[in-house]
Amino acid sequence: MIIRFERIALLSVLLSLGTLISVSQAQQAPSETEVVQVIGLTGVKQNTKGSLKVENGSLSFVYSKGNCNVLAASIQDVVTGRDSQRAVGGTVGTISRLAPYGGGTALSLLRTKLDIITIQYRDPNGGLHGAIFTMPVGKAELIKESLLAQGAHTSIASNEDSTAGPTQQSEAKEQQR
Amino acid sequence: MKIIKTATILLTLIAGLGLGAAPLLCAQEHPLAKVNATVKASAIQIEMVQAGEVSPPAEFRVALYENLIQEMQKEGGFPKVFRDGDRNAADAPNLVILRTTVIGFKQGSELKRDVTTVGGATSITVRCQFTDTEGKVLLERNIEGRVRLIGDNLKATDDFAKKTAKLANENFSSDDKNSGYKNVI
Repeated sequence: MIIRFERIALLSVLLSLGTLISVSQAQQAPSETEVVQVIGLTGVKQNTKGSLKVENGSLSFVYSKGNCNVLAASIQDVVTGRDSQRAVGGTVGTISRLAPYGGGTALSLLRTKLDIITIQYRDPNGGLHGAIFTMPVGKAELIKESLLAQGAHTSIASNEDSTAGPTQQSEAKEQQR
Repeated sequence: MKIIKTATILLTLIAGLGLGAAPLLCAQEHPLAKVNATVKASAIQIEMVQAGEVSPPAEFRVALYENLIQEMQKEGGFPKVFRDGDRNAADAPNLVILRTTVIGFKQGSELKRDVTTVGGATSITVRCQFTDTEGKVLLERNIEGRVRLIGDNLKATDDFAKKTAKLANENFSSDDKNSGYKNVI
């Protein structure tokens, strides 16, 4: 009887430890990601290499000559290259393929072997800024999730139905406000 | 003698028709062009690029917008350039507002450009509308950004921005600009 109780206790301890470990891994602060700031950050030249980190409610870009911080709460839209492809390849993409100028096929800004993340944020005067970063494949989604967790907004949720076009998504966003 | 007379009349008619039609043909080249004398403006506010008949990815719209702001600051000739939503723009006298809509793009190929340096051009066409604060259209043009030889598609956005800034510089003037170094003989 005592042995059985010990076994149960041991099992429950192991189970709870396993849960704790997995939770701590999930909550682990995202490490710095090596990125290239393509365009957009004030005072930073185009195609500047640096590292990107999301912590304490802000997105921090550190490069050789300094750093630039953007409050996560001021980010009104964060989208990855994959989000854009889904949006363009969805309903809107189908419609625009019929458009003149041969429009509609996903127009990639840069080489496709990179992940891309685009943010749009407001400065204290209300001015809209945009910034584009490229990074190794697979990192953009993690950064997006971290930003959303710290108060940023997005027009395209990662698990959203890909058939919903950006217009529908922005309408939904307006309704949320 | 009669033949010479007929030929002269015919030639005169042809020449007359040619001269008369020339301005009409020129006018048809740019149906959206509204030629204005230089409009006085002390500041410009640039709105975020909108998706029109086609929907470019977010990164493309942001690249167009940011390049436009940079080029307008460098070459646009406006003493002040305000971003979309900037509250300080409300106090600016003679404010011009620039609205841009992507109306078309042609997907090229960077690889093809690298290899052939001839084919694979990317082009993006944007409708640019300069208005005053009351919404009156001051100037409207379709501007095409292209990347032809070498480089990624980002260069098409840069090309568009340069052309737009040049257009603004040619069509709008401010007191500051007139007294500036450029105009000193």
